[in-house]
Amino acid sequence: MPVVLLERIPLPSLKTYTAFCVALLASALFYAHRVVTSLESDSDPSNSATGREQVLPSDSYTWNMLFVVTTEAWCVWTLVNTAYCCLILLGKLIQKLVFGDLRVSEQQHLKDKFWNFLFYKFIFIFGVMNVQTMEEVVMWVAWFTVLGFFHLLTQLSKDRFEYLSFSPSTPRFIHVKLLSLLMVILLSCCGLMALCVYIGLQAGITIFAFMAAECMLLALRAFYVAVRYAIHLIDMNLEGIWENRSIYVYFTELTFELAVLSVDFAHHLHMLLWGNIFLSMASLVICMQLRYLFYEFQRRIKRHKNYRRVVKNMEARFPIATQEEIKKNCDDCAICWEKMESARRLPCGHLFHNSCLRSWLEQDTSCPTCRTTLSDRPPEDSTRNVPDGRGGDADVNLQQQNNPNAQTTNHFFHFDGSRYVSWLPSFSVEVTHTQLLPRTRQSVQQTSQLDNMARQVLQVFPHMPLNLVLDDLRETRSVEFTIENILEGRLQAPLPGSLMSRNGLLSEESDEETQQVTSLSTGNAVISALASPAESQQNFTDESQSELRRDDGPAQFSSRFSKSATERETMLQERKNSMLEQARRRYLTNQSASGSSNIDTRAMGSELVASSETWQFTNDPNSSSNETQTSSSEYQRHCRELAFQAAQKRIHEQRNT
Amino acid sequence: MAGSALKRLMAEYKQLTMNPPEGIIAGPVNEENFFEWEALIMGPEGTCFEGGVFPARLTFPPDYPLSPPKMKFTCELFHPNIYPDGRVCISILHAPGDDPMGYETSAERWSPVQSVEKILLSVVSMLAEPNDESAANVDAAKTWREDRSKFNEVAERTVRKTLGL
Ligand SMILES: [Zn+2]
Ligand SMILES: [Zn+2]
Repeated sequence: MPVVLLERIPLPSLKTYTAFCVALLASALFYAHRVVTSLESDSDPSNSATGREQVLPSDSYTWNMLFVVTTEAWCVWTLVNTAYCCLILLGKLIQKLVFGDLRVSEQQHLKDKFWNFLFYKFIFIFGVMNVQTMEEVVMWVAWFTVLGFFHLLTQLSKDRFEYLSFSPSTPRFIHVKLLSLLMVILLSCCGLMALCVYIGLQAGITIFAFMAAECMLLALRAFYVAVRYAIHLIDMNLEGIWENRSIYVYFTELTFELAVLSVDFAHHLHMLLWGNIFLSMASLVICMQLRYLFYEFQRRIKRHKNYRRVVKNMEARFPIATQEEIKKNCDDCAICWEKMESARRLPCGHLFHNSCLRSWLEQDTSCPTCRTTLSDRPPEDSTRNVPDGRGGDADVNLQQQNNPNAQTTNHFFHFDGSRYVSWLPSFSVEVTHTQLLPRTRQSVQQTSQLDNMARQVLQVFPHMPLNLVLDDLRETRSVEFTIENILEGRLQAPLPGSLMSRNGLLSEESDEETQQVTSLSTGNAVISALASPAESQQNFTDESQSELRRDDGPAQFSSRFSKSATERETMLQERKNSMLEQARRRYLTNQSASGSSNIDTRAMGSELVASSETWQFTNDPNSSSNETQTSSSEYQRHCRELAFQAAQKRIHEQRNT
Repeated sequence: MAGSALKRLMAEYKQLTMNPPEGIIAGPVNEENFFEWEALIMGPEGTCFEGGVFPARLTFPPDYPLSPPKMKFTCELFHPNIYPDGRVCISILHAPGDDPMGYETSAERWSPVQSVEKILLSVVSMLAEPNDESAANVDAAKTWREDRSKFNEVAERTVRKTLGL
């Protein structure tokens, strides 16, 4: 692409450029001033040194200045240059106000977008419009400059929105700023549209269509970002799951993508047909763009068809679970971990949210929990549920061999795979539907058998959860084996501790409260002279002393989950540091306890001195809290010293004995 | 969509903080980006990795938990199932569709019911019992099979290195 080459051009820094612009503007104004004053002072036309017709339009000084500046060629260019400089400064200002520092990927996107835009508009102006006069060029360039400016802002907003949606703790004012910028862009789009109409009235329908298409594309993109943003914000502020969210998201995405693609397609087609540019470089570029847009359109339609097939399939085969079933299940949706108010039941008995299940079925055809195949097709080619509708002919042949009864299904897939009728309504869905029935019955039979077996197991072990038993039965296919598995501890009921915390996670609203972790210690006793009974503390600062004594035992922390992001960050960092500290101490005590093992103790001792000076554990370059950082590193040093002293003492003792 | 992924990651982070499995700490590197985590994994007892604390990065896709995260150790780790660049090769991290090694059944692979905790526990058991049949690091697999004492030596060095000793 020419983009790469263009990027190599050394651009002056903004400061230099601004200074240059100001200087140029000043000299232009000075020149105009000189001309006006000299002409005013000596009104004799014959004295005119340049010999030009120097007629000043009016007696007013400012009007004369304006006249000179707008008629003299180099002054006009200076003005244009100044306008660009102002625009860049405005862009910089908006960036500073709304976005702050740009991330690397945002900068890259911006650059790509900018050069691409430049390239295509260059082709448009000189390849398609084939403008002749300078005024026309200037007008088009001005139009595209404004348009490109808004395009870049939209792109930036989109990137920033996507980034912000990765974080749960974005301050409100950042959202407000970004959303108001989007609103400004949208309002400006209205203004630009009015301009299009105005110019269109004078220059004709073609020019209007060209300009309006660009304008609409911009408006659609900005609007799409705004709508998605709104949906995201509503979702984040909502407690629990928003069942229909994914439907809204999906359909806004679909509508906007299709709208953008069709407008763009029409725009390019218009360009190709209108300009007499066949067999030129420009036509080639436009044809390539058209092809790309067409494929994108097709891909989107296919995805949508797959989506509709999944939804229909799901609605037909997996019934909505009754309230009793949901109550009996008394667990969260395994996909999103949210509570279930309504759910769909799979043949294997597992329940999921409607929306969660659908998005999973779009990419796979097995139960997420137990991996039972839900496909209506033989399992050997059901690893992917034809995600892009790529049920090609090879697939069909394979199926014909495998399953002679699948005649109707074949028809369906063949139809689906054909490209050029892809937006015809797919009536074959019903055909496959009738195909499904025997299989569904089969799996129902299967599950009822499993249920019986599970009931037998549960009679022996009433404390085991049904899901677990079912899972195991599905593997072992025998009551005896499963019972054996339970007896030998291969199959364990979830520990009460984890259950408790999981429940606490659901119901407990007061996160600030400290929660003691149930001790699930495995008896990994490590010999230590400093060991004392384990204590749990809440406060880090007065913990330091006893923390030292509480040498080993599993890395246990009386943890709590703060609501504040920075507090969470520091607490995580503290936990990491303390884990490392503990591991280090344990390692040292182990080393010295095992005495003259493979490592030379003296060498280790000296190494320790060296490393304890240089060593530092900071994985987090963006750590926000310097205060805690330093205090905890001080604490670390303290710990290390103590550990080192203890190790030395022990080594010394060993040497003496 | 990032929204539901965010909620789920938050729930997982909460659970891992409130009820951490032994020898495992995990959380976002930076609260600004919840899709990039760091985990510290303690080497399992009774193995050659005992005592070590191994840092790893987890990168989550926007459609998590429908797609698995990627996991990469940020320390050197000489192990049959870890690529020389630190990427972890275990079946639970493979999407149901793809099967690069051609050996695993889909039952072992990623599904939305898996979680960060389960991944990290699998990694711990992988550290304890390398699977040298599907080696990501052929050298390590060979050493593991043929020269166990050398393997243990390398592991010991790694442990000391991760502890900064
Ligand atoms: Zn769900
Ligand atoms: Zn199931």
